[in-house]
This record gives sequence, structure tokens and C-alpha cells, in this order.
Amino acid sequence: MVKWLIPLGGAIEKDQSLLEVETEKVDLEVPSPASGVLNEILVKEGETVAVGTLLARIDSAPPAEVISRVGGVVVRPVDSDAAGEEHHSPAVRQLAKEHGVDLAHLKGTGAGGRVSKKDVLEFVARTSAPGTTTAASGEPSMGEEILPLTQMRKTIADRMVKSRQTSAHVSTFFEADFSSIASFRTGRDLTYLPFVVRAVTRALRDVPLVNATWGDQGIVIKKDIHVGIATALEEGLLVPVVRHADRKGLTQLAKEIADLAERARSKKLSPDEVQGGTFTITNHGGFGSLFSTPIIHQPQIAILGVGAVQKRAVMINEAIANRAMGNLSLSFAHRVIAGATADQFMAKVKHYLEGGHWEQIL
Amino acid sequence: MTTATSHATGEVTYLEAISQALDEEMMRDERVFLMGEDIGQYGGAFRITEGFLDKYGEWRILDTPLAESGFVGAAIGAAMMGLRPVVEMQFADFISCAFDQITEVAAKNHYRWGAAVPMVIRAPFGGGIHGGPFHSECPEGWFFHSPGLKLVAPSTPYDAKGLLKAAIRDPNPVIYFEHKFLYRRIKATLPTDDYIVPIGKADVKRPGNDISVITYGAMVHLALEAAQMLAKEGIDLEVVDLRTLAPLDKEAIFSSVHKTSKAIVLHEDNKTGGIGAEIAALLAEECFDSLDGPIVRIAAPDTPVPFSTPLEEFFLPKTSDIVAAARKLAAY
Amino acid sequence: MDLADVTSQIKRADLLHMYYYLRLTRALEDRITALYRQGRIVGGCYTSHGMEAIAVGYASALERDDVIAPFHRDMGAFLMRGITPGEVLAQYLGKRTGPTKGKDGNVHMGDLKRGIIGFVSHLADNLPVATGAALAFKMRGESRIVVAGTGDGGTSRGDFHEAMNFAAVRKLPVVFFCTNNQYAYSTPLRLQMAITDVVERAKAYGMPGEIVDGNDVAAVYLAAKRGIAKARAGEGPTFFEFKTMRMHGHSEHDPAKYVPPELLEAWKKRDPILAAERLLVEAGYGDETYFHEILERVKKEVEAALEFAEKSPLPEGPEVLEGVFATDADLSHQATHSRSAA
Repeated sequence: MVKWLIPLGGAIEKDQSLLEVETEKVDLEVPSPASGVLNEILVKEGETVAVGTLLARIDSAPPAEVISRVGGVVVRPVDSDAAGEEHHSPAVRQLAKEHGVDLAHLKGTGAGGRVSKKDVLEFVARTSAPGTTTAASGEPSMGEEILPLTQMRKTIADRMVKSRQTSAHVSTFFEADFSSIASFRTGRDLTYLPFVVRAVTRALRDVPLVNATWGDQGIVIKKDIHVGIATALEEGLLVPVVRHADRKGLTQLAKEIADLAERARSKKLSPDEVQGGTFTITNHGGFGSLFSTPIIHQPQIAILGVGAVQKRAVMINEAIANRAMGNLSLSFAHRVIAGATADQFMAKVKHYLEGGHWEQIL
Repeated sequence: MTTATSHATGEVTYLEAISQALDEEMMRDERVFLMGEDIGQYGGAFRITEGFLDKYGEWRILDTPLAESGFVGAAIGAAMMGLRPVVEMQFADFISCAFDQITEVAAKNHYRWGAAVPMVIRAPFGGGIHGGPFHSECPEGWFFHSPGLKLVAPSTPYDAKGLLKAAIRDPNPVIYFEHKFLYRRIKATLPTDDYIVPIGKADVKRPGNDISVITYGAMVHLALEAAQMLAKEGIDLEVVDLRTLAPLDKEAIFSSVHKTSKAIVLHEDNKTGGIGAEIAALLAEECFDSLDGPIVRIAAPDTPVPFSTPLEEFFLPKTSDIVAAARKLAAY
Repeated sequence: MDLADVTSQIKRADLLHMYYYLRLTRALEDRITALYRQGRIVGGCYTSHGMEAIAVGYASALERDDVIAPFHRDMGAFLMRGITPGEVLAQYLGKRTGPTKGKDGNVHMGDLKRGIIGFVSHLADNLPVATGAALAFKMRGESRIVVAGTGDGGTSRGDFHEAMNFAAVRKLPVVFFCTNNQYAYSTPLRLQMAITDVVERAKAYGMPGEIVDGNDVAAVYLAAKRGIAKARAGEGPTFFEFKTMRMHGHSEHDPAKYVPPELLEAWKKRDPILAAERLLVEAGYGDETYFHEILERVKKEVEAALEFAEKSPLPEGPEVLEGVFATDADLSHQATHSRSAA
């Protein structure tokens, strides 16, 4: 074997000279028996082998040409034995991060075995839905009742603890005068929540650092505002998201919040609807709670609790007035924002709640 | 007079919708007038202005000499002096004769010296009618690249009427690309009240969850056809009809792709440097984190529009192309 | 022109008014040339040196609500329509106080309030636009007219022919002119056209045409008046070929070595300002003292204009993004109709 005239992986035409050999009698160029791609070289230059030895392999069925007007979808086959990281699409990486999913444990159903967005979302939906229960350990004794842990409860528990461990939670409390909202509400089918969402989105525009997530490359300030509404269920908790909440008026917000809550309870939410939030609101005043120290919904960096709105005597301009007051409890990630920033944000929320002009954004 | 101008409340074709829009705007606003070849006496090469000469007279329906640069320039002058000219290109292919006036004068006037040019140029574009290279072109790409022009391309009779009215009422030069293939092939019942379709707003013609098909013009109908077929296979297409090409409704495009994570950009114009290329670039820049598959473009190959039927059939994107690409992308 | 013809048709005050603007145009453009040579002006620099009588002549024949679509040798017309020397210099210096706020340079000015359609570098592009303005006037039954022109080179472009044709077919109230200064950049007439006189094109389109001495401001004025009267009377367009000579290069950076020096020498003697002075002296309307006074006046005016322009602010980078599209408000404030009482 003297010389390979085509490099490994090169294209070759039938009858085109492929290699040079030296026999006892003569040196000659050998033409290729087929067209295709030189896939495998088995005999190196300078080696001497017996006649009949397999020299090389030509792949005569190269990939078909992509028709020029239809875009090509290139599929890279996933080699499960290959060392190194598997490639994941941006959407998949983003989702996995948001939901704390370890992609190594996921089986992909996409082309070539890749993990697709659908795979991740289905996994998330599966692991947050109440599903299999685990057997309780030991027999219940007379003075105890055992409630088996649902998958959802386990996941929530896990996440709550993890959240407290990762973000350095600090809470700050403000009170706001809800009187103008209360009077605007009369005769209208609106709860306090759309007003709070609205005020929060305005405040997030003013203090964009609060609408961010903590990431390895830095603090990622999100341009879009998607507000999660913590919704209590019998078996736990879901946080459906109102997308682009800053672009919606009160009526639309109320409608969407009611719809999301309804479908959360009847388990009709799609995986899409519980991901992508940038800020969360939890309405804990239902049974009279005034203050709260809510747990941040990772990877967000703040969560706002809204307490019960009650008529109270307050001082306004040296006089005592009867006002509908409500407390706002913000838990924020101190590793991301300073107390001053959090308070700045809260002051804005208060400002917008008390500000009025609600008829303009009905 | 055609049924279009007698305000029939039955179904109207895409062509009749255009005719109605012109008629209604001319009645509503005396500043609106039409210029073009063969639009008066003859009623227009496609009969869109049939009956208009009798109704509006020769000083509002001007049969122009064969001089696109000349009469587009005249439209610019008249528009600056307070009129609202609507110029008809007999075929979009002839707009190249007026390229200079459109891109150097009309597009730049307001930017340079504050003079608004409220002019509309109607351009019948697109193929599928055995028109060959000079009667089937999609020239929107050239003008997409000229700051100062607005470009619209309706796909339905409703949008055709509403967008033409909006174009006439816009204070800027608007090129209105009407797809000649759709002229008599699609019909709809239109509202009797005055309405416009705002420029700059896309329309989701079919909501879906799996793949966004971003498109305009006659291709919208192919995309809808493909969507119907694919629905049976469990592939749910979202068809976003751009309606306006410039300025692009980025919010609508991004919002769709954020949802589906997969995008097919589809247009009849040649692939290289077509508007689809810009949309693909925007998606890569702004929606990168949401993408779960490569951005796919389906467009005509980079050749002039051929005449012979088998050639034209090969040239134009087909429903089967969309189906094939969608299946591949869905499985990615 | 014959003196008696001039004095019987043009008032003393009007001639003096024209003389003033000839001087102002010359002084302003000389100042621009100087600034260019000092490196204080960037970009192109085109003047009408030696050709001032054309713009001043035709602009003097306009009514307030008429519109012009000038080209780059028409500085005198810009000034007579109300663009101040300060604005001109601000424009050349790229300042925000110029008519285009820095968006465009040199003679690319326009302002509908002052009846000027903005000039475009593509010569003859202004002519179809002018016919459109005239069309609007005719459609609305207004007695306004449009005067539009280009150079000898401009008449080679399709737009010149399409505009002339359309105006004649529709009998539009427009006066076309060609400033034939014999050179289009370095291209002499013999390489530009096979005819000797551009006026021959008028007949081809079915409109009357006249050759006029472009360096005789009275002749230009009276010719323009005739054409304008015809247009206003609904008799359609007229074409004037103003014969002149380009005394400087195509632009101030062009030494124009391709122009035979004898030609320039001959035309120097026919300088329009000298010709106007001779006319005024002959008519008894002015003398050396008066001419000197005017010279001093325009000098002062130009110096004040330069001060204004130099003190004016430059636009800031981000302003690039403004004004691509017009709003409805912009359009509603656009001066489209007569400013005189209805």
C-alpha cells in the first residue's frame, strides 16, 4: 500500500483513482469501484498485505440533498456511549433549570433520542400531580393517623426546604390603604387580587431588579413580567402564571386569575401554565391572616404576601380616619437585592395601590 | 357597476373586497384618487376599478401614460400637497420602474425634511397563474429594506378590505401587496360597517401548540391546509398571518414561538434574503431560550419565476412541503 | 435685452430686489466655498456661481402660494422663498437648526411651508413630483403653479421625459426649465445629447419651449412670468432652456480642468451680476455707491448668518432614529393648501 489519493471522509466518483499500490511487478493507481464517501481505511500507507485483504470501505449512499426550498432539519444522533455532555436545546435547558429537573435522568423521545421540551414538561406535570402514594412505614397506633405522602406533597416539601436553604430570605412589611380600591370595587365583580397584580407589575417596571432570577452567569433581569398566583389545593399548592400581566387590565386579570384557579383545582392546567413566572403573589388573608413570611418560588427572587384587608383607625393629617388597610409582606432573596431595593419596590407597590385611577385600566 | 360597488351584503371575493375598499374610501374622503394604467376606461387589468370612471370622473380616476416612475413621482407630489393618491401597478413586477421614486423620494422625504407622503401603491404580486418571470414576482424583499416604507400583504377578503383602508388613511407611503392568485379564489362575508385592520398587527389564523408557521399572502391558505392534515396526526400548527410585513409585529411572532418552541417561516418569495431570513434572525436573537428545534424556512428557490407548468409547480412552495417540514420538526 | 423692454415691463423696485438677491446668493455661496476650502464644511459643496440670475429670475416671478421643485444650482430661489442664510449655513454645517436638522446636507433642503419641495440627489426625480403637485392644484381648482427644473445632465434621465409628457398630456400648471450650463460634472453637452438645444425636447412632448439668456436676470424673470401666466390660465406647461455657463467645478472639490479656459474667459465677461449692474446704471436705477452699499449689507448678513450657524448645536447621535415615519399629527400640520385667505 503506497498512498491513499482520497482523504478519509472524502467523496469519490466511480472510476476515479482511489489509491496507489506497488506489486512485485509494477506500481499502479487503482480506480474506485463505486461512487460515494471513503468511510473507513483499513490498511495504512507503507503496509504490505496479501492480495484479497480488505483495504477500505466506501459508503455509496451519501445523505440525500435537501430540497432548496424546504429548510433542512439536521438531526445529530445522540451517542449514548460518548463521553461528555449531551446537547440540549435552549428551551429544554431553560425549563430544566426553572423546574429543578436533572436532565440526566430523563429519557428523550425526540429525534435521535434527544430530550424535547415536551419530555421535560410531561415529567414536571407527572411529578407535581398527585399520583402514586407510598406505603406508610410501620403500623399506625391508636393515637395517630397517617396521611401517606403524595408525589405532589413530596415535591412541594422538597422545594420549600431547598428554597429556604438557597436564598437568604429576608422579610419586609408594609401597609397600604385599600380604601380607594374598596370603593372602586363596589358594584363591580372584582376581588382585591387584580389590583394587587396591577400595582405589582407597575412596581416591577420601576424596580426591574426585583423581576429577576439568580443564575450561574449572574443575576438575570427578565424583561417580561409573568406573575404567578399561589393557589391552594386540597392536596397541596400550585402556582399558575398570568403571562405578561403588565399588559392586562383589571377585568382581564380578574378573568384570567379566576380561570387559572378553577383549572388548578380541577387539574386542567397545562404544563406551560405553571412555568415561566418571574414574580409570585400569595393571598394569605383569606382566613384573617395579617402578616406572613412566604417562601420564595425558585428561581425567582421575591414573593409578595397579601394579608386580610380590614377597616382600621389610622392617622391622616393629624386626624383619625376610618380606612380599609391591608398589610403587604415581601420575602426577598438577600443574596440578590438589598433591603433598600426591596423597600423601594414595596413603596412603589403601596404607591400604586393607593394611587387610584382604576377606571383607566379596567 | 360591479356587485362590489353596490354594497351587496352577500359573500364577496378578495378582489371585490379591494374594490369595495377603494370605492368606500373615495366616497368617504374626496382627497382620495386613483392613478394607474388602464384603470379608467378599461376598469383595470383585473377589473377592480370597473365602473369607477363613470362614478368619479377622469380627474379622480386617472389613466396614466406607461411611465411608472413618472406617475409614482406625481403621486408623491400630489400626496405632499394634501391629496391621497392610490397608485395601481398593473403587475407588481413593474414596480421596479418606480424603484427610484419609491425608495429615494417617498421613503426618505419625511425623515429628511419632515414632509409626509400619504400615498398607497397597490401591487398585484405572486404566481400560480402561468404568468412567467414578469407577471408573477414577489418584490416585497427589495422594499422591506427601505426605512420609511410600510408594506402590507392581506390573505383574506376581510383583511384585504381593512388593510387597504388603513393604508389609505396612513400618513406614510404604503405598498399594498395584493395576491393575484387569491383574487377570485376566496370569498367571505364582510361587515357592512366601516372597519379597518390596523397596520403593524399580525393575526393568528389558527391557534396551535406544537409549531408556529409564520407566513403571509397566499401561503397562509397552504399553511391552513397543512394544519388540517397534520391535526389528524396529532401535530398542532399555529398559523400566524403577518398581514403587515413592515413594520413586523414582533410581539406576535415572539409570543407564538415562546409558546410552541418551534418555528417554520414560510413565504412564496425567493429564499435568500427574503423577509423570512430576517424573521429567522430575529427568532434566533430574541427567542433563543425558547427554541426546541432549528428555525426552518420554506420558500421558493433562488430563481426567477418560471413559466412552464411543471417548472412553476416545482418552484412554488406546496402544502406537501409544509407537511413534510412540520413532521420532521415535530419529531425533532 | 433691450433697455426699453426691460424698464417698461419691470418695476424699479423689483429690479433692485432681484439685484439684492443676486448679491446675497453670490456672497453666501462664496462664503460656503471659503468654508469648504478651510475644511470647515464636510461633504459635498455645490454652488451656482455665475448662474445666479436663473434662480433669482424665476423665483421673482412667483406668487406666495406657488411651489418650486428646485435642483442644486438654485440657491437664489431658496433664499427668495424665505430660507434664511443662517439656515443655509446651519444646513451645511450639519446643525440642528438647519431645514433638515442634520438629516441631510448641503442644498438638499425643502419646506412645504415656504413652498419648496425638497431636493433629491437623483437629478430629475423632482420633476415627476412637481407634476404631482401641479396635479393637486388643478384637481382642487387652485390657481397655484409649480416651477421645476434640472440641469442639462438631468434631461437625459427617464424621469425628465416622463414628467414632461405627463404634464403636457394633462395640461398641468407647471413651468419646466433646464439650466443648461454646458457641463454635467465632466460630461460636455456633446456627450450628453445629440441635439444642440435642449429646447427641442419641448416640442417632442407637445409644449411650447423657449431659449433664454440665463445670465440676464430680466430676461429670465420675464420669461418665467410668461410661462407662469400661461400655467395659471390653465393653458398647460411651458419649457425654458436657460443658457449659461458653469463657472466653478461640478462641486467645489472639482478643479474642472476639462473645461477649456477660453470658454470660462468668455463667460466671465457675461457674469450675471455685472450684467445686472450695467442694466441698473443704464436705467438710472443704481450707481457704484449703491452697489457698494448692497455689497456691504449682504456681507454683514452672511457674517451674522455664519455666527448663528456656528453657535447652533449639532444634533445628537440618538436623533438618527427619529422621524422615519410620519404621524397623523405631522400630516395634519403639513402646509398643503394656500396660505392666503380662501
